[in-house]
Amino acid sequence: MYEMDYSETAERISRKFSQKGSEVDSKMIETKLRRLIDEFGVQPSEAERSVTNELAKEFNVPALGTGGAAKSSGGTEEKKITDAVPGEWVTIEGKIVSVSTPPSPSIAQSGVIADESGAIRFVAWAKSNAPAMAVDSWYRIESAVVDEYKGVASLKIHSGTTVKDISSEERALIPSTTPIKDLHVGIGSVRAKVVQEWDASHERMLQSGLLGDETGTIKFVIWKEPGKEMLTVGGVYAIYYAQVDEFNGRLSLNLNTAMIMQEEADIPVSGGEASVKGAIVHIAPGSGIIKRCPVEGCNRALSRQNYCPVHEIQPNFHYDLRIKGWLDDGEKTHNILLQRDAVEALTGITLDAAKEIAENNPLGMDEVFLQMRDLVLGRYITCKGREIDNRLLANSCERAKFDSGEHAALLNRAGGSS
Amino acid sequence: MSMNARDMGRRDGAFEREPARRVFAAELRECRHQFREGEDEKSPTFVLLPTGERSNRIFLVGTLTEKQRQGEQNVFYRGRVVDPTGTFFIMAGSYQPEAMQQLAKVETPAFVAVIGKPNLYQKPDGSFLVSVRVESITVVDKETRDLWTLDAAARTLDRLDQLATGTSPDIVKAKEQYPTIDPVVYRKMAYDALAQIKM
Repeated sequence: MYEMDYSETAERISRKFSQKGSEVDSKMIETKLRRLIDEFGVQPSEAERSVTNELAKEFNVPALGTGGAAKSSGGTEEKKITDAVPGEWVTIEGKIVSVSTPPSPSIAQSGVIADESGAIRFVAWAKSNAPAMAVDSWYRIESAVVDEYKGVASLKIHSGTTVKDISSEERALIPSTTPIKDLHVGIGSVRAKVVQEWDASHERMLQSGLLGDETGTIKFVIWKEPGKEMLTVGGVYAIYYAQVDEFNGRLSLNLNTAMIMQEEADIPVSGGEASVKGAIVHIAPGSGIIKRCPVEGCNRALSRQNYCPVHEIQPNFHYDLRIKGWLDDGEKTHNILLQRDAVEALTGITLDAAKEIAENNPLGMDEVFLQMRDLVLGRYITCKGREIDNRLLANSCERAKFDSGEHAALLNRAGGSS
Repeated sequence: MSMNARDMGRRDGAFEREPARRVFAAELRECRHQFREGEDEKSPTFVLLPTGERSNRIFLVGTLTEKQRQGEQNVFYRGRVVDPTGTFFIMAGSYQPEAMQQLAKVETPAFVAVIGKPNLYQKPDGSFLVSVRVESITVVDKETRDLWTLDAAARTLDRLDQLATGTSPDIVKAKEQYPTIDPVVYRKMAYDALAQIKM
């Protein structure tokens, strides 16, 4: 069973407050979380939100909570979107950059509205009787309320809100992009390259993977919806107004609300170039020879029954090699993923040879797994590649060689000071 | 949204795997303190190495000199793996079927690489035994054994350096639990192990 670690969540909440200049005892936060989750069966994410909001009120930190106790005494200020703080009544002027299918009949319309300073999600309640807003049009929204759900601010259009179409005022909005390392929860725009694609882990998921720019990397996800298309690995995209979510202190981009434009250019993706030397201490299931989905642009690993999570049964799969496992240097264990070239170089078993084994041996693909395991498990290797979130995507690996210089140095070190 | 979050959690690898410590047989044999981090049944247990580091998992390379099948209902294998400083006692039972089959297959003697969890037992006569429950065992070559000896010596010397100057809770605990530990002994052990590598 997955163990909820309250202390980590408590630390995270405490950090949020210390960033705002309030010191909150994380032990006390932990007690509150424990009480909500253990005694009252509250979902952990909900408990985190609830405790954060409770403390935000107590410490009068408006940017975190939904209460906004101290601010806004009824007046509604005209604001730039980036300055809108949860709990406030605001008036803004902005352009509708996307609308999405409302999740509930009580919502007339939802989407993202942007101005020069930034963007925010909006929700128009059915009861507000607000006019339906059109993508690419400009509106002046008077007396809306900014609130927060799961740490993401949104603009609520209610029955007291006035919405005016101001598109005639001819304004240009040039969206600016943010370096990935500077993204924060809410809405964000980036110019980034698709550096990895991951196997879909949910049937509603169209695609997930990793985007990178010069400053860092971030996960992305696209949920299945009519008209949504997958991104191409290696492609560079300008992505405007994606939803930035936070989970376990890490950010991810939900691209369903975003405007996406592919660009011709290539961009360098930030470092992460790592070299790790250690011993292979585990080879995970799913290593060896695998079958991949032949559908253009998919390439997901198929189950033994040739089932692709997206494209169902695919009898015309193609074979590939990979090794997933753990490389351990004695201090830290790195999750490694070796691609076909690295697997062939390390094991000496080519894809063709592996096919031969899989097709002619009674154990089939398992035989390839076992042979490769026996060839690499417990061996010292050096892997080079890109390390992201403690996972090393290795593009080259080699067996370590005994170094007599190192031997001599260690003898000196051991004998020297005794 | 919650599905999104769940997926991200899995991807994040928020879980950190316990590293496999490199320790010579002569040091592991001296462990007398075992503890559990946290109160949960699934919390990891650690042995405290005399040189002042906790270990939930170890990686060792040596020569499998003996193996024995034991038990009637619950079959398990025991084995002895020798390094330049002494002997590791390893075992694999039916709860680790894959490790047990790997161990069953190895013909002695052979160089083997073992990943496993150290456990401290007190025998009825009051003496202690540290045995390693095998997670995996593979046959390797002599070069891998020599690389391990370098690695284990380097890590042992690192720990001794830390022990001399460090103040981590594990170092403090080690000084309490092993009041008679003499770093010179372990330094000499590492030296002797290195000196046995033949060019």
